[in-house]
Amino acid sequence: MISPYYLQLIILVGINTIMALSLNLIIGYTGQLSIGHAAFMSLGAYCSALLTLHFNLPFIVSLLGGALFAAFFGILIGIPTLKLKGDYLAIATLGFGEIVRIVCLNLEITGGAVGLRGIPKKTTLLWVVLAVLITAFILNRIIKSRIGRALIAIREDETAADAMGINSTYYKILCFGVGAFFAGLGGGLFAHYMRFLHPKSFDFMKSIEQLCMVVLGGLGNMWGSFVGATILTVVPEMLRSVADLRLLIYGAVLILMMRVRPQGILGESPANGGFKNNSYSQWIQTRLKKSLRKRSGSDKT
Amino acid sequence: MFVQQLMNGLILGSTYALIALGYTMVYGIIELINFAHGEIYMFGAFVGLILVTVLKVPFFLAFLLAMAASALLGITIEYLAYRPLRRSSRLAALISAIGASIFLSNLALLIMGSTPYNFPTPFEAKVYETPFFIISRVEILVLLSSLLLMIALTLIVQKTKIGKAMRAVAQDKDTASLMGININKIVTITFAIGSALGGAAGVMVGIYFRTVTPTMGLMPGLKGFVAAVVGGIGNIPGAMLGGILLGIAEVLGAAYISSQYRDAVAFALLILVLLLKPSGLLGKPVQEKV
Amino acid sequence: MIARKKKTTIFTAVFLCLVLLLGVAGCGPKESADTEDGKTVIKIGTVGPLSGTAAAYGTNVLRGIEVAVDEANASGELGDYVLKIVSEDTEGDWSKAANAFQKLVDIDKVNVIIGAVLSSETAAGGDIIKDAKVPTISPSSTAVDLTKGNPYLFRNCLSDEVQAIQLAEYAVKELGLSKFAILYTNNDYGKSLKDAFEAKANELAEVVAVEVFMDGDENFKSQLTSIKEKNPDSLYIAGYYTEAGKIAQQAKELGMNVQLLGADGLCNVVLLQIGGEAVEGAYATSGFYPDDPTPAVQNFVNAYKEKYNEDPDMFAAQAYDATRIVIEAIKSKGPSSEEIREGIAATKDFPGITGKTSIDEEGDTIKDVIILKVENGKFIRAR
Repeated sequence: MISPYYLQLIILVGINTIMALSLNLIIGYTGQLSIGHAAFMSLGAYCSALLTLHFNLPFIVSLLGGALFAAFFGILIGIPTLKLKGDYLAIATLGFGEIVRIVCLNLEITGGAVGLRGIPKKTTLLWVVLAVLITAFILNRIIKSRIGRALIAIREDETAADAMGINSTYYKILCFGVGAFFAGLGGGLFAHYMRFLHPKSFDFMKSIEQLCMVVLGGLGNMWGSFVGATILTVVPEMLRSVADLRLLIYGAVLILMMRVRPQGILGESPANGGFKNNSYSQWIQTRLKKSLRKRSGSDKT
Repeated sequence: MFVQQLMNGLILGSTYALIALGYTMVYGIIELINFAHGEIYMFGAFVGLILVTVLKVPFFLAFLLAMAASALLGITIEYLAYRPLRRSSRLAALISAIGASIFLSNLALLIMGSTPYNFPTPFEAKVYETPFFIISRVEILVLLSSLLLMIALTLIVQKTKIGKAMRAVAQDKDTASLMGININKIVTITFAIGSALGGAAGVMVGIYFRTVTPTMGLMPGLKGFVAAVVGGIGNIPGAMLGGILLGIAEVLGAAYISSQYRDAVAFALLILVLLLKPSGLLGKPVQEKV
Repeated sequence: MIARKKKTTIFTAVFLCLVLLLGVAGCGPKESADTEDGKTVIKIGTVGPLSGTAAAYGTNVLRGIEVAVDEANASGELGDYVLKIVSEDTEGDWSKAANAFQKLVDIDKVNVIIGAVLSSETAAGGDIIKDAKVPTISPSSTAVDLTKGNPYLFRNCLSDEVQAIQLAEYAVKELGLSKFAILYTNNDYGKSLKDAFEAKANELAEVVAVEVFMDGDENFKSQLTSIKEKNPDSLYIAGYYTEAGKIAQQAKELGMNVQLLGADGLCNVVLLQIGGEAVEGAYATSGFYPDDPTPAVQNFVNAYKEKYNEDPDMFAAQAYDATRIVIEAIKSKGPSSEEIREGIAATKDFPGITGKTSIDEEGDTIKDVIILKVENGKFIRAR
């Protein structure tokens, strides 16, 4: 029998993997820098918890309800903001994330500053494993499809993608909607595991943590998201024995990691907006373009 | 009451502007969101505090020394965390900046503890009353210093040789370096100036609000950054304008909408400005290179 | 390319080693024996923010617990038992508090937990300790109904409702105030104080303005200007000392002439340092009065000062009392989790340094409220 503490860690690794996978679609594959991902998680968490609490819906229905609610907001926010590029998009998503947090803190229905208590515990290891597998499967299908190639083309060069006839706005909104959907799913699982919700855990730092998972694991690599989520969930727990130095080490590791291996543990692609004259990133870009060509070629046959 | 609220917004805004100036300076040259700027601000406040209370240094000297120490810290951060990444992706630099921010605030917590320190006020607390509003001496000081720093900064960037080099680097690094500009030197100087401003902001705000804590850089850092973006990041008068606009929006939002949504008003303003004019109020539209 | 691959392999290997090393380091000390110097160890877990913006509260709570544990171990009052603290940081984030609670009950197998500090943290841990049947007493989580329906969760702090009501009565009847303004911090503590005070003050007199601020805010002029417009004769600050000191300062700068009122969150010397003359004459409810001449209080204050070179505040005092309640429970019933639970639940008229304390059937505290006043830069007892 596995101890509940390790079980909890495994479940959190699973939920964080879903978060990292969905963020990876937005940042790693489409190249849109979003630092408000925790907001989608909180929307899904609150919505599914409220569906369970007020309407006593079956777990699967409230999970999907929460995920759809988050996806709706993903699209709603996506439409105006996705015209923005690079850092400006990042800042807009940051602003959106903070607004969601403040609204949750002040509404009656979310329990406001007191938090939402008494959510029934419905998330089990089985649910989480299933959710991770389904998320990974669907995202993988998307990435390997026409849509995925369009997304990668947008990441590599949006202007060129537009010129090639890819409707970049449409694809970017689609990617935001899908990303937000799975973030909402992760939030729903989180709410029904923790049995308690408070806006404090969905702040700017949470979004940053999720961003770190993606970047640490490797942008544009699905396994990387899993590795990143595992490390950033488990290592802080291991470091509990050096309580004082825990966050100090965390900060230092982030800096070191970026020096030694900026593309992440399993990452191979340069991030959006890298300097073009770097030989290494050039090498990767050509490789990617080759594989892009190869993949589109193999589809035709 | 309306005039008083406007005044409140102006003062709050100038504290944001003080922080925004440093952000905008660094972003303008190397296009990096220096997340550690909030911690440099905190560091400046602590250096000022220690100099004034423990070493009994006269206030004005302490102010200058805090600026110098902050500049040194900024250069160190740049050297250790950003310079090695100049050739890698922007996201890597951003994560490194976040790492630096987490590291510094927790280092301060470890050394200084979590209890807030009281910053002794160097001036006699005096309040001036006019028929329309009330303003204290420290507030006038904060307002004037942010204005002065903005003007000084604009002059440095626009009129000096170093400023010219900075603008050249901002425009095109490779060409600038071909023209014989030492990029590393310019980036170091930029960080030094930006961080000195952060330190100055820390001391000023420390005096104004009378407290210094290791976590004081978090929220003001974020707000200062928002202010820089609203005004047009990379644009010095823009940072000032953005800060003041943000302060006024927050104060009026709290007064006439609800104080519950005060921070939400600030972020809503940010999104609104980004949608209407993505490069910020005074920023030049970015021409995409094809 | 080969070199690059090699580099990757080396990096991965180094990384895995690091992870393993940390794992070993993390697991090592946990297996320590349950005896020390021939005495049986009773583990007390603590949960609270030791880093992040709420670190000051968590640190003071931990210090209060440490003073009580050191004292009990030194005095030998527990006979063959010795107390040991296992403290866990939450960064002020409740989801991390849930991990901390789970670790304490499963890995460290603590007998009892003192914590958490913030109400959201305690709420997140409530179900975990209930499932694991580990008694938990929070020294500072004041949110309404927090302990309800959970036989393992207790708390030792003033009820927000009681202190707000008592102060409202005192303000109207003794101080003759009639036009109240409320400025509260937007968290569970501030909100429940505000709700109770607003209801009682409206019943006895009139509340003319209610404004809110966020934890960690520094500029309150906007809210204060709105309040000033309504001409209240008093301002009730439902928040903590750092913000309250700044509020007092800024209210004075705006030329507001109001009687300041507050709750136990104000009772810390930092309020006097930041507020200076502006907090002179303020009244606040409290459970703890550090200048109380009774020996128990003076012993605690001296021991605390000696150890940390700082004056103890309400958080430290309540944590000390919570630990004392646990120690008394061990003495009267026994050291197992179930025995400690019974002991805490049976607490009646316990003579703590924060007043006479009883625990009711819901796990809530019943204790006396005292009212402090700031006079000549010191807290003195007004009632």
